Amino acid sequence: MEQNVLLKMEGITKTFPGVKALDGVSLEVQRGTVHALMGENGAGKSTLMKCLFGMYVKDGGHIYLEGKEINFKNSKEALDNGVAMVHQELNQALKRSVMDNIWLGRYPTIGGIAVNEKKMYNDTMAVFEELGIKVDPHRIMSTMPVSQRQMVEIAKAVSYNSKVIVFDEPTSSLTEEEVEHLFEIINMLRDRGVGIIYISHKMAEIKRISDYITVMRDGQWVATERAEDLEMNDIIRLMVGRELTNQFPPKTNTPGEVYLQVEGITGMYNQLRDVTFDARRGEIVGLAGLDASGRTESLESIFGIRTRKEGKITLGGKPCLNRHARESIKNGFALLTEERRATGIFGVLDIKENTVISSLKRHKRFGIYLSEKSQREDTQRYIDAMRTKTPSQETKIRSLSGGNQQKVIIGRWLLTDPEVLLLDEPTRGIDVGAKYEIYQLILDLANKGKTVLMVSSEMPELLGVCDRIVVMSGGRVAGEVDAATTTQEEIMTLAAKYV
Amino acid sequence: MKKLFALMLTLIMALSLVACGGGEAADDGAADDGAADGAKVVVFWYDESDVYLSSVRDALNKEFASLGITPDNQFAANNQTTQLDQINTAIAGGADILVVNQVTSGASDTAEDIIAAAGDIPVIFFNRAIGTDGSDITVLNANSTIAFIGTDAPAAGHMQGKMIGDYVVANYDAIDLNGDGSISYAMMKGDEANVEAIYRTQFGVEDANAVLTAAGKPALVYFDAANTDCYQVDQAGAWSAAAAKEYMDTNFVSYNEASGNMIELVICNNDGMAEGVVASLQEKGYNVEGGHTVPVFGVDATDNAKALIAEGAMTGTIKQDAQGMAAAVSQTVKAVVDGAAPVDALAGLNDARFSLNADCATMLYVAYAPYTGE
Amino acid sequence: MTNPVANLQRTAAEYKKMDQKDQKRFWSDMILNNALYILMAIFVIYTAIKEPSFRTLGSLANLLTQVAAYLPLALGIAGCIVLTGTDLSAGRVVGLTAAVAGVFMQKSDFANKMFTSIPEVSGGWIAATLLIVVLIGAAIGLVNGFFVAKFSLHPFIVTLSTQLITYGIILWFFALNGNNGQPISGLSREYKDFVGGAMFRLGGVAVPRYVLYAALLTALMWFIWNKTTFGKNMFAVGSNAEAAKVSGVNVFMTTMLVHTLAGAMYGYAGFIEGVRAGSVAASTGLNAECDAIAACVIGGVSFVGGTGKISGIILGVFVLRIIFVALTMLGVDSSSLYIIKGAIILCACALDMRKYLVKK
Repeated sequence: MEQNVLLKMEGITKTFPGVKALDGVSLEVQRGTVHALMGENGAGKSTLMKCLFGMYVKDGGHIYLEGKEINFKNSKEALDNGVAMVHQELNQALKRSVMDNIWLGRYPTIGGIAVNEKKMYNDTMAVFEELGIKVDPHRIMSTMPVSQRQMVEIAKAVSYNSKVIVFDEPTSSLTEEEVEHLFEIINMLRDRGVGIIYISHKMAEIKRISDYITVMRDGQWVATERAEDLEMNDIIRLMVGRELTNQFPPKTNTPGEVYLQVEGITGMYNQLRDVTFDARRGEIVGLAGLDASGRTESLESIFGIRTRKEGKITLGGKPCLNRHARESIKNGFALLTEERRATGIFGVLDIKENTVISSLKRHKRFGIYLSEKSQREDTQRYIDAMRTKTPSQETKIRSLSGGNQQKVIIGRWLLTDPEVLLLDEPTRGIDVGAKYEIYQLILDLANKGKTVLMVSSEMPELLGVCDRIVVMSGGRVAGEVDAATTTQEEIMTLAAKYV
Repeated sequence: MKKLFALMLTLIMALSLVACGGGEAADDGAADDGAADGAKVVVFWYDESDVYLSSVRDALNKEFASLGITPDNQFAANNQTTQLDQINTAIAGGADILVVNQVTSGASDTAEDIIAAAGDIPVIFFNRAIGTDGSDITVLNANSTIAFIGTDAPAAGHMQGKMIGDYVVANYDAIDLNGDGSISYAMMKGDEANVEAIYRTQFGVEDANAVLTAAGKPALVYFDAANTDCYQVDQAGAWSAAAAKEYMDTNFVSYNEASGNMIELVICNNDGMAEGVVASLQEKGYNVEGGHTVPVFGVDATDNAKALIAEGAMTGTIKQDAQGMAAAVSQTVKAVVDGAAPVDALAGLNDARFSLNADCATMLYVAYAPYTGE
Repeated sequence: MTNPVANLQRTAAEYKKMDQKDQKRFWSDMILNNALYILMAIFVIYTAIKEPSFRTLGSLANLLTQVAAYLPLALGIAGCIVLTGTDLSAGRVVGLTAAVAGVFMQKSDFANKMFTSIPEVSGGWIAATLLIVVLIGAAIGLVNGFFVAKFSLHPFIVTLSTQLITYGIILWFFALNGNNGQPISGLSREYKDFVGGAMFRLGGVAVPRYVLYAALLTALMWFIWNKTTFGKNMFAVGSNAEAAKVSGVNVFMTTMLVHTLAGAMYGYAGFIEGVRAGSVAASTGLNAECDAIAACVIGGVSFVGGTGKISGIILGVFVLRIIFVALTMLGVDSSSLYIIKGAIILCACALDMRKYLVKK
């Protein structure tokens, strides 16, 4: 057994300001096995992998590869030593060809100067044949679908003769057929003695493909078991650490009359087609679906930051044009975006600036002057109301944890006095404790008669918080279900309707 | 590691400041020697990279050294405001005499501002004109603490024109490449706004034509009938060889021997531009041994130009006397520092190379001379 | 503004809690973060000892005057840098507006007056001219802003283009009416007094009126940056344009306005420049943007975007002018002046960048 251990991580610890991301986590991967790594978002899976690849410097612990202690400084060094990762978000040079990407940083050369294109082509073809990948090595990355780009990434890992390959949510953007192909490849790699770490949320997949399962929760190791010894419910119990009912605050809101009506929204530059649904005052409506099913696009179209070809939005019987964000805000809409860092926070600005930016006219005096005092009061009020943990209002927002950043942005929106809140993955990348607070906040808003639309990839979250769930598939509404009576299976079936 | 690096950066920054402190210490010591004569002489140059002025500076530094004066040279990078800041700073720093090579040549207002800022401190202007159309004389006559040492701006143009005229009359048929009986020329102007450039551009052609007409020959014809300015100017105002060469290269595309409209003569405002023109011609096989030589004329008589003339690649230039200029400036400064009024200092200079302006006793000209080889 | 005393107390309390290693780090961080200012202080003291004339009142007046002359341009360009952009057209805009102001302000009895139909200079005419040149500057800024905002072009490209176009217009302008590229001279006494007239004397050196104007402009810019919606929006756009858009900021208008405001500042700078140089030539304003950009980045207006303070810009201009004045007085030749300036900009920015690097 022991000589079979390929990779061993022992007591890995990592702290970020305000968060203990990893607390003495251990993991053992054996030769020729698939080891699933499970846990909720924020459980520390990605952080653990980043420590392995040297993207983060671990604060404590040891990593051994085939019995030798290693300490990679970057993913290039890891690759050279036979540890590869197929990322969830692919880091590829999109404007370059397939083979350029595979041999990047180690181009075969003629006499050390000119790149040997021919050898590069032949070597690429050899790897592709071995893996059964049908892609032209000369093709430009950006012209290929995500699934094929992922195959290229796998081929790259194989071409390094990797001993350990980490797959981070590899199936999230693949079709069923592509998933089958991926599993064939994974099985083949396993038979060759490669150790595979497989990170995924999808229980069924995990049960099918993996030999061992390690569950993490809140940055801690919880359990490692043989896959056949664990039932799906056991896994969920281990991941959540308590009964599901305790994960969400009690539902107290009562939906009133129909307030927001969205009719026939069709996107100009995206795949949205004829999206129609409505939402009541004091109702929390979930938008479920697979990645790229059009959930985010729906919210952004309603908010006017994506161009609509057709479609009507009515709020309380009054039509809203919502041509751009400013107009939507004026009409009482607020949008919490999915990519907090890219489109939410102003990293170099402080909490106060981040809080007041959407509601500056509240502070205007004499038509031009902005009152410092009232800005500070508003900011403080929402720091208190949301229990945001920050040393001061002058703290730069990027030094807060994800959950606290999210609270600041929600505060920003509440200051605009919105009637409709569009929340896109409101709890992404937030630790479990903070999630509960966000749920409570959403419920409180509904209690005050606000209408909430909420996109989430976490099914239990939608079931626990929403009143009604609109399921999207392939840019269309596939169906509507009552959150109280539906099941995950029903939602999944609808989500696959137009794929 | 990062911190170590940051510390190194700080150190570099500190060093660069200290380095100047160190250099200064030497300068300061030398200045103290100069102070034995009680003089803090500051020389303001319009730009550090001007070829002719570099030779003046070389000569001037030597002259000053022999007189026991250590000048402080300041360069304005062709920016008048920078120069004024330097002047004000030097005044605040206790300068005893200002020697100014004014950036905006021909602007009497600027000169007046400098004089006003200087107050009682004497100002010796040199090289670049401080006014046009007599406004410089007005300024000079109105202030007893100043003087101007330069060249008679139009004189170089006149001299160049005469030289060209004489040369063309003597070699008319050889120059007339296409044998159409008239000679087409190109004119390279150094700076759109510089008075000397303006005079040279004007008189270089006018005076040549006067000689030609007197000899019964047709006047020179500008090669490009569509260009009513009849010159091509360095748009950066830098009198540069590069600009002249680029113009010449472009001209060749439509004006060449094959199409029978080749440029047959090139007049340049200075030798730098003449060099650029010669380089362009040589690339096309002209002005080299065995090839036809298109006459090229410049002004300044720089070392490079003299060498080109010796090779036969360039025809003539007008000698700006750098030594003479340096001698005039240094001797005037010495006399003024020793207590003489500028007007007396100039009068005291006894040298065949110098002449006073007829209308102004504080305006000294250093003579030009034609140069066509030793 | 937070209470500085309370801030200091908090810092002191935090300091006491630190262990020895952290305390050491605290001091080294403090020294590194303020390295530039510490060095400048040492440099100033050194110069003052070495060169007695540097510590006179007259010298201070000279320094102040220079700072006031360079400040407006830096204040204008800083907005562009906050938006992670830049403005290469600044110097040429100064050149053009200086030329226009110069022509409008020529003495009526001046022999080479370019346009004899321009009226005699009076108070009202001076005000009108100031307005006109500020509008010209603003118009060029508007063009910059429009292309940057509308087509998402990098300001580097847009302003490089307008720089060339503006220079073309300058050359054309100088050739008008038989002027033939001659410098514009004969500026009227009233104009010179309005801009450069002595307010009072410090150590025998006159302090011109534009020092007062620069102070007023600085106050105005501070207000705009810190107390208006436009200012807040500018920082938001500079920090994260996408997030700003989602938050309801009009990114297009903000970008346009920042460039327009910058252009207006250049227009004012041009109005001053003619009087400072005594005359206006086609090369007036050449490369003026370099000093302005340098002052901004030295003062912590970072190309990272979304950061910068008016006080930083003032400090940046002071640093550059102190280096200039001190080295000129010490008689250091200008080749080393360039090297020192370059080294300081490079090091100041590298040290500044430390603050923005994500520490892992």
